[in-house]
This record gives sequence, structure tokens and C-alpha cells, in this order.
Amino acid sequence: MMAGLARMRILSLTRQLASLGLGGRRHTGSSAVPAKVLPYRKTRGDDDDVNMQQIPDDFRVVFPEFLPDPKPEWRNRLREKLERQDMLARRAVMAIPEFYVGSIMGVTVADPNASGKINRFVGICIQRGGTGLRAWFILRNVIDHQGIEILYEMYSPLINNIEVLRLEKRLDDELLYLRDALPEYSTFPLDMDPELIQEGAPVPVNHLKVQLKPRPWHERWERKNLQGLLDLGLPERFYKRAKLHEKPWEKFDLMKEYRATIPEEEQADIFREISPHYEQLEASRRRAKRRRTKIIRS
Amino acid sequence: MAALCGSKIVVFGRNVASFSSVLQKFAGPAVSLVCTTQTRSMSRVKRRHTQPPFWLPKTTRTRYPENLTSENEAFVSEVIADQYSSPLKSDPWERGVWNEKSLRCGVIAKKIGIYPLWTKDGTRLLTTLLQVSDNHVIKYIPPEELIEHRVKKRKREFGALIIGSDSADPRMVTKEYFNMFSDSGVLPKKKLSKFLITPNAKLAPGTPLYASHFRPGYYVDIAGVTIDRGFQGVMKRWGFKGMPASHGVTKSHRRGGNIGSGGEKARVLPGQKMPGHMGRERRILIGLKIWRINTHHNVLWVQGPAVPGSTGSYVYIYDSLISSRKHTAENPPPFPTSFQDEQEVEEELYDQDLHVFSHPSIS
Repeated sequence: MMAGLARMRILSLTRQLASLGLGGRRHTGSSAVPAKVLPYRKTRGDDDDVNMQQIPDDFRVVFPEFLPDPKPEWRNRLREKLERQDMLARRAVMAIPEFYVGSIMGVTVADPNASGKINRFVGICIQRGGTGLRAWFILRNVIDHQGIEILYEMYSPLINNIEVLRLEKRLDDELLYLRDALPEYSTFPLDMDPELIQEGAPVPVNHLKVQLKPRPWHERWERKNLQGLLDLGLPERFYKRAKLHEKPWEKFDLMKEYRATIPEEEQADIFREISPHYEQLEASRRRAKRRRTKIIRS
Repeated sequence: MAALCGSKIVVFGRNVASFSSVLQKFAGPAVSLVCTTQTRSMSRVKRRHTQPPFWLPKTTRTRYPENLTSENEAFVSEVIADQYSSPLKSDPWERGVWNEKSLRCGVIAKKIGIYPLWTKDGTRLLTTLLQVSDNHVIKYIPPEELIEHRVKKRKREFGALIIGSDSADPRMVTKEYFNMFSDSGVLPKKKLSKFLITPNAKLAPGTPLYASHFRPGYYVDIAGVTIDRGFQGVMKRWGFKGMPASHGVTKSHRRGGNIGSGGEKARVLPGQKMPGHMGRERRILIGLKIWRINTHHNVLWVQGPAVPGSTGSYVYIYDSLISSRKHTAENPPPFPTSFQDEQEVEEELYDQDLHVFSHPSIS
């Protein structure tokens, strides 16, 4: 009787179910109403400050694909967790080293059409992107005077080995301008030996300035604020036009930055999830040997 | 509480026979059919409804500020938890045996995302992840009762099972809606669906359904409501090609152009493709393969990125009705369902053609 009464009684709402998305009809049209931001639910209640300090500084930079796509319509915590589990399982079998745009890498893939069923390509990483299992990078090289770019999916099981031959960064985040540069800037020997780096040393930055071929180019490089280019030698009108297309207010746009990033609390959660495997990932990142010879770079 | 408003009971199982096939039965095979009548009149049928039908019980109720003390509120939560902590004590129903003509129920799942998987020969395929969350059988409707409400004549004898997904707080729902769940002994559900079954596939109310109801390698049909795209123009909605951006085109780059045929038919024919509301419609995708199942989280990995709906929307999954993808005597399904509480199931189940990430690279 008591239980029956309790069941029938009308009571005030509980906070747990309020956050489960019971409200809101679907929006008509994609841009009519701003995208709903999912509420952040803490996985652990206490010691937030300690957790924040425990994330290594370079976690976001070394393993950028572990952070999910920030678009709220596509986000689901369970799916991201399952995806991270699959990523870690793959990394346990094939180590994916730390690399940046500008590093020279060699990738061995299984190829049914190649002799020996294996194909190796060496090139400079000009771009990387994607999140989760879709993470990719593009390697560029010039072979027999023909520029070749190959996009590799980092978690594809066809890839047998990824090794970083020269770990370095460049002045820009993307090196797509190498397509319009003189070919010597994109040429690397296919039998290049790996250049070893001291464990714990910061990643060297190559301040190389690239010379471009004469116009026409693939893009208007003068509008891209690139640091790694020599003086383009264009008439003044190009730079005047470039100034009109500048968006100097973007660096003050906090909401834009917010929409493009995962909040720090969630990054802490993600790091906590993969921290048991972090030592293993770290060990496969850099070689433990000392630098033997000093390499002079042009 | 709008999510509860949307818990209409929809019939699944057999595909509705199309108008042209009905015509074929009467006219005979010798008569050639022109399907224009079908297309043109079906475009007048209302496909989207803002409110559920009047004969369904209302789910939401007006809430008033009750000003309860925290002790009372805690007490009531405890009572509810106790009430639903264990299933109803009742005699177990006998379990049917599968035969070629059996039809078992489906499940209600939530779309949680899309990510790529690879097969053993290196082919990349996109898979949709669907989570079967908290499914329970709510009611069994025997064939005699179903025939009373039948909409179309069926040759075979069908019963129905009402499945519910995602428990809701019993304090938030109307008494009428709540009473629907009294026989099953489970919390009221946010989403309900009816699946047509053969009587040998009946399940007792309160039986939980899990992702292990299916196995990797099975083919399923998935029904869902597509993404609401709002009022869309003719190029996105119907795939018209539009007109050139330059070369003298005046103000008609994305418009529909001519809408009549001229001559004798001096009118706009019904069903003329024009801009209008696109999306938020029920669509069924048939013959999708299940590649992988996680029984701990109850997640299915299903072929392709095209499952209708956005992330977080509900879909209804059932065994495929395509003749080449049906179950055969060689691979019968777990019938009437896989009773995961009674027998051990592995956590991760993979299709035999799928590459497992923890295995070595392909060479």
C-alpha cells in the first residue's frame, strides 16, 4: 500500500534525468539555432587540480588523434571510448611514433601488387589530420623528377611499419607550398638512415626558408601568413589585396576557439583513460640512443 | 519530455505491399503497368506528424512544485529502486523452436557514431555503431488479439511483441502510460515499438534484450527517422542540376526551371518536384551486415554510414527479410532471443572476415 502510494505520488524532478536530453524538439534547418553543447559530466568528483597537472604538456600535440572531433552533433562518449580502445589495441601491435609536419618518415605497407608484397615509401610529412581511427598524414617526395604524395591512414592494418627518419618541426603547420617549391626541397633519398635524437631533448625546429618556383601556383601563398617561405617577390598589389582578405579579428574570437577545442576537463578524462598505456606509448616514441654524428642541414 | 511524446507504437515486420504490386494481382501479368499514378498520389500523403495519434496514451504530465523535503525525496527514490531491483516472479514461458518460417522480434537501438573498420584483406569500410540500451519486452499480443486490430489481411499467423528502450523516471509519466508497464515489472520506457513475430518466438514481459540477440555475420534491416534538413531547395532535395553560374543566366542558378509539359496536359502534374521540407521521414535500410558486437556495452557495428538519423536518434533493427539474407537451417539465430543472463557470451564478437585491431598487421 505504501509502495503503491509512493508510486502514485507526484514529485519534483530529479537532476539526473534532466541532463539526459529529454527536452527540445529537433531544430528545423541546420543553422537556425546554435548547436546544443552537451553537458560535461565528471567521471571523477575529487582532486580536479591534481588531474590537470598530471597531463603531460605535450599530450595534445604528440597524440592529437586521441582527442575527438569537437563538433557536438557527432560526439558520443561511449563511441569515443570504444574508438580509443581500438586505437590502443592497434598501437600495441604496431608502434606509431611521434611525428610532426616537417618530419621525414618511412612507411612500409603491404601491397599485393608489389614484388615481395611490401612497399616502402619515404617522404616529408606535409599535412596531418583526422581524429580517432581516421587519423591520416600525407608524405611527399620527388622520385624521377615526379612529385608524389601519398595519404596514409595511421590505423590501417595494411601499414606494417612507420618510422621517423628525421624528427623535426618546421615553421608552418602545413607544408602544402612544397608543391610549388623547387623540387630539391621535397627530394629525399629512399634509403635514408634514421637520424637519432637524444631522449628528452626538445623537438628541433628547422628554420628553413623555401624558395618557390615562378607563378602560377596552386594557392595564393602570399595570403596564408607562411613563415617558411623566402621573399615571394610579388608586385605590391598582391600584398594590398592580401591585406583586404585578412581577418585580424579571428584571434579574438573566443567562441570560435571554444567550438574548435575539447575542454580541458575532458582532455584530463581522456588522458586518465589512456594513462595505463601511456608509458608504453612513450617508450615507442623516441629512440633511447645518443646522437652519434652532428648532421649539417642546408 | 518531448522525447516521450515521440514514443508512438509503429508496426514492423512485413513490408507494406506497394500500390503497383496490388494492381498487378488484379490486372494480371499481361497488363503493363505505368507507375506514374502511384508516385503522383503518394506525394499527397502526409508523411510527418507533429503529434502522436490520439488513441495512444499521453506520456508527459504537468509537473507541479511539490516542495518535498529531501528525506521524503530520498525515501521515494529508495522505494522505486526497491520496486524495480528484481524482475517479476512468474512462471517462465516455454521457448519456441526455430523453423524456416519463424520471425523473431527486433531491438531498439540508439545511433552513437560512425567509424572505420578494416577487413582481413585490407578493405576499409565505414560502420555505424548502434547501442542496444536497456531493452525489455513490455507485452506479448497473441494472434487472436492482433487480428481484431488488423489493418491488412495476412495469410500467416502473426503475434506481436512490444519492446521498450531506455527507462524513464516513473514520477515523470502519466498514470495511463505507467500502467502499460505494470505487467512487465520494468520501469516505464522512453521509446516503444511493436515487432510482428510468429507465435513460437514469443517472450515473457520483462525479458531483457541485448546486442547478443544478433551475431556478427547476420544481416539486418534498420528503420529510422532521417535527419531533419528543414525547408530545402530543389537541388538538394531532388538532385536537380541547377543552371550555370554565368553566361547570362538571370537569377535562376539553383531554381527548378520549367514545371509543365505543355500541349494537352496544360497543367502542373501532381507530384511535381519542388522545394519543400526534406528529412524527418521514416526510411528502412535493408540487408545491412553486422560486423562486430560488444556484449559488455551492447553495441553493434553495422555496415555503412547511412543509417537514418543523427547521432543519438533511435533506430529499429530486425532480422533481414531479403530472401537471400534470411536465416537458414545451417545458421539459425538464437531463438527466441539470446538469454545472456543464463549463458556466457564473449565480450567482443567479430565477423570472420574482419581484421581485429589486436592482431598483427596484414602482410
